[in-house]
Amino acid sequence: MATPSRAAPAGRVPYLIGHEIVLAAILLISLLVLSTQTDRFLTTGNLLNQGRLMAEVGLVALPMTFIIITAGIDLSVGSIMGLCAILLGYSWQNFGLPLELAIVLALVTGALAGAVNGWFITRIGVPPLIMTLATLALYRGLAEGISQARSVRGYPEWFFVLGQGEVLGVPTQLWIFLACAVVAAIVLGMSTFGRATYATGANIVAARFSGIPVDRTVLLIYTASGLIAGLAAIIFVSRVSTTRSDMGTGLELDVITAVVLGGTSIFGGRGTIIGTLLGLILMQALKNGLALAGVKGDGTIVVIGLILIATIIISNLVRRDTDG
Amino acid sequence: MQAVLALEQISKSFPGVRALDRVDFDVRAGEVHALLGENGAGKSTLIKIVSGLYQPNAGTMRFEGETVRFANPHDAQRRGIATIFQELLLFPELSVAENIFMGHAPRTRFGAIDWNAMRARTRALLASLDIHDLDPSRLVGSLSVGNRQRVEIAKALSQDARILIMDEPTAALAEADVLRLFGIVRLLRERGVGIIYISHRLEEVFVLADRVTVLRDGAYVATRDVAEVSADDLVNMMVGRRIENLFPKLDAEIGRPLLEVRGLSQSPVFHDVDLVLRAGEVVGLAGLVGSGRSELAQAIFGIRPPDRGEVLLDGRTVQIASPGQAKRLGIAYVPEDRGSQGLIRPMTLRENISLAVLRQVAPAWFIDRPAETALAERSIAQFRIRASSVEQVAEKLSGGNQQKVVLGKWLATKPRVLLMDEPTRGIDIGAKSEIHRLMGELAQQGLAILMISSELPEIMAMSDRILVMREGTIVASFARGEATQESIATAMMSASEGANRVAAAG
Amino acid sequence: MAIAARREGAQDGLLGGLRRIFGSQEMVLLLSIVALLVVVGAINPRYLAERNLQSMFLGNAYIAVAAIGMSMVIISGNIDISVGSLIGVLATLSGTLAVSGYPIIVCWLAPLVVGALVTGLMGFLVAYLRIPSIVVTLGMLSILKGGLISVTAGAWITDLPQGYALAQMRPLSIPMPVWFMVVLTAAAALWMRYSAFGRAIYAVGGNAEAARLSGISRRRTIMTVFVIHGVFVGIASVLFATQLSVIQSTVPPNLELTIITASVVGGVSILGGTGTVIGSTLAAILLAAIGSSLIFVNISPYWLRAVQGVLILATVLADLMRRRRQARS
Repeated sequence: MATPSRAAPAGRVPYLIGHEIVLAAILLISLLVLSTQTDRFLTTGNLLNQGRLMAEVGLVALPMTFIIITAGIDLSVGSIMGLCAILLGYSWQNFGLPLELAIVLALVTGALAGAVNGWFITRIGVPPLIMTLATLALYRGLAEGISQARSVRGYPEWFFVLGQGEVLGVPTQLWIFLACAVVAAIVLGMSTFGRATYATGANIVAARFSGIPVDRTVLLIYTASGLIAGLAAIIFVSRVSTTRSDMGTGLELDVITAVVLGGTSIFGGRGTIIGTLLGLILMQALKNGLALAGVKGDGTIVVIGLILIATIIISNLVRRDTDG
Repeated sequence: MQAVLALEQISKSFPGVRALDRVDFDVRAGEVHALLGENGAGKSTLIKIVSGLYQPNAGTMRFEGETVRFANPHDAQRRGIATIFQELLLFPELSVAENIFMGHAPRTRFGAIDWNAMRARTRALLASLDIHDLDPSRLVGSLSVGNRQRVEIAKALSQDARILIMDEPTAALAEADVLRLFGIVRLLRERGVGIIYISHRLEEVFVLADRVTVLRDGAYVATRDVAEVSADDLVNMMVGRRIENLFPKLDAEIGRPLLEVRGLSQSPVFHDVDLVLRAGEVVGLAGLVGSGRSELAQAIFGIRPPDRGEVLLDGRTVQIASPGQAKRLGIAYVPEDRGSQGLIRPMTLRENISLAVLRQVAPAWFIDRPAETALAERSIAQFRIRASSVEQVAEKLSGGNQQKVVLGKWLATKPRVLLMDEPTRGIDIGAKSEIHRLMGELAQQGLAILMISSELPEIMAMSDRILVMREGTIVASFARGEATQESIATAMMSASEGANRVAAAG
Repeated sequence: MAIAARREGAQDGLLGGLRRIFGSQEMVLLLSIVALLVVVGAINPRYLAERNLQSMFLGNAYIAVAAIGMSMVIISGNIDISVGSLIGVLATLSGTLAVSGYPIIVCWLAPLVVGALVTGLMGFLVAYLRIPSIVVTLGMLSILKGGLISVTAGAWITDLPQGYALAQMRPLSIPMPVWFMVVLTAAAALWMRYSAFGRAIYAVGGNAEAARLSGISRRRTIMTVFVIHGVFVGIASVLFATQLSVIQSTVPPNLELTIITASVVGGVSILGGTGTVIGSTLAAILLAAIGSSLIFVNISPYWLRAVQGVLILATVLADLMRRRRQARS
């Protein structure tokens, strides 16, 4: 499988391609099983709808892939989403900004929030785990403080095209997501930035010694994570027609699970966008299938948690074997 | 007198290198036995075997007459062998007493720590070492280096060590602490503890030690009574060897200065370094581990900028703040530790070679795979790298080939100044001579080369000029043909002022 | 390479002892609490009313108890972000046993046992399979959260039997949660400081290599820390469950964050190896005081989470600066 999104070295092929093939196989099997359990699953309408629902988590999972490859983590994405959603709503409704400008503001806020994370992580040296844990609280707090738990409604009609509309029969956000996914895959697999990302995660010292701008790379990645979380916030608001300060709660769990499921190692240095996509689709299929089979939403997050732990255990054991 | 510890015909090999080859070594009760040898002679491997970190491949170890085999450090400790490593293994957040008795604190009947007993025993232990100014309740994190080392010594003794291994104990100490350390060593000797003392400072050997054993290239050279041997004898034993048939240095025309360094200092690793590298010249930089050579090269290369001093390139002052900047200015640094600093092991040969020249193989920001592959293939041909293909993972290559990959990576940047840190360490003789040949060719092409090396034959064979660095500054300079291995080694190891102060203490 | 001997600031004697105490995180917290009470009390004296102070302590004592175990986990170099959901599950378990007629003592002890089992499982994955604790606890978080909602279906547990409400008892007129908080903190503090295992936790978190060479088993230490943490979580969950006469089906949002904040602000470094449980308890009290003070000074309580975030950041930065200064000397 000559994927342009990943360098395929002779020594590494067995593990990584192995993981993705296994994942694809599991996905295929799940799709088959689910389609036999209920005939509502494999309809175009349902599949497109799942694509719509998947877009927000999917978008945020793209920069998260980069982050985890650098052996970092970003727990604040859900809070950034909430903050951007609030700013979108409030700057439009309370400060009278034209909606277009409010959208820009939300994106800028997201980028800024991510940049703050990146700055502290690279310049000050705060470990990503604790930094993004602190901003998880801080950004959510700002969202709650600004909104005072009041929601915003009444957006103009054209705004809903983003989250509820379609282009050529496919949900708008799915187009956006696919476009971003292609860009991400190309950047990660074929650009100098992508190579720098892998190098930073695999051996940050050697990367630095080779003259790779490690700090700049990491800063950009976290900034992108925030920016995309802002984009996801806009889409989310457009989809559900309101803005609430608790939006995005728990997003980080879904996103990290998808990325890790897709074969990206939590220790850094390995991972692909295609893998993340497979992980996302598998997760969404499970959620959908379980829901259609009558399992309530909370039951699915149990399954997702189990899958996360199981995947890591298996991948750890396999890694131990191949590393010898 | 029977030895407390006796090693007979001990051998130890690691993949690709024979670290120890049938070494005999013994320690008696109440003696200070110094262990001497160059970098890589096998001293560190030997003491790691004695302290239980490694197991020998062949040979026997006898402790108090019985044959023993230590499976881990804990085994050795329980038998009475204590080690004080250079990197002190203390817990800064705990107190002196807690550190000393970590893992074997006195307990009360109920199994809890007997706090009073621990403090009392700590005080007694410290007193027996003539240390009366250390409070057992103080947090180790607040202590000076000298005091921390004393805590380590007390910790070693808290388990009734019969053998105490000290690895370069004075390397990080101020003068007053050195004197106190000597006092403690003498005290221990009087009490019957057998001490293995590793140091590069010859004058210390003469002041403290009873016997001295010299290792060279993993082999046992000799054991002598200190009273019957001179410094010259020792140096001769450490370095005397036939110069191997390395590739003869090609003649290169030496041009104008490309890189100049004036008064460069970085506290506390090096200070007041002046250096000139000319086009076509190979300057060898000799010195012991810890003399500051790597830090100097890394400071020039922008990894950690110096505190003071100037760096001039082509006569113009430059401020090099990052490796990327150094690269753009035409400086390349081949690091000392190729595994963790030079290569990205899980990446392929192709990816490693292009790592420093990504812009070159990525004209529009996207990596041109064919160009990258071509670059890698050229490197494989040019350096005769033995690999199955450009897609082979770097980890699987042999040491020599890995080094060639790192070299290839840096030469792809077309540098004018090449800083090489231990370029042939740990690689086979064939690859070694290939790298030497390469260096000669590069010098002919007009590069200025700084070669940091711990192998005196290599330095002597390859260098146009030889500089010796000791304890952070350049102490000697030789022109090609002027130096002998002995004179270089002497410059590396003895300090005339140091000899005075130590003699005064003795 | 000669390193000049560091100036050893007088750490012994009375002056030194005082200096050490005042400079400590614990003292800073204590002073902050006092300062907060004074300032807010001056602005709005109702803040200091006994009923308010009491409800502040009562409602948050269980957080301090949970923070004890969490501090141990963080000191050992790990983290547990599932603790909030675990408290919810254990509280529901306790309440369910109570309304099903089991002896009160069983209802009180079951959460401790189950809590220890759950955290023990997580500890096993972290210690023996070497999976980063953030991932294990992230997965467990969703398993517990989803499981709790699925099982309770949002229903509250009412009709609790007499004598069950542990948190509402008042031996010697002091509310039970306060007893638990003070006694457990003191016991844990002593144990961490003076017992061999307590030392081992600091050792493993501070310098794993040195710990190994001293014969301390990293795996056993971490596994045991997680189990002990589970017991504390169990106790906290019983206190939480018995606060009111009903057991809600949810826990306060981001409860785990509040508990972690208490530990971190209390001086437990996320880099492992430092911090005390006294600090985390004081920090829990401080956070509770800040939380309840907002409304008395007319600041909307919705800003509380932002304050938590700033506090975490400030503490972490201070810790980083301190470590850097220590390393340089």
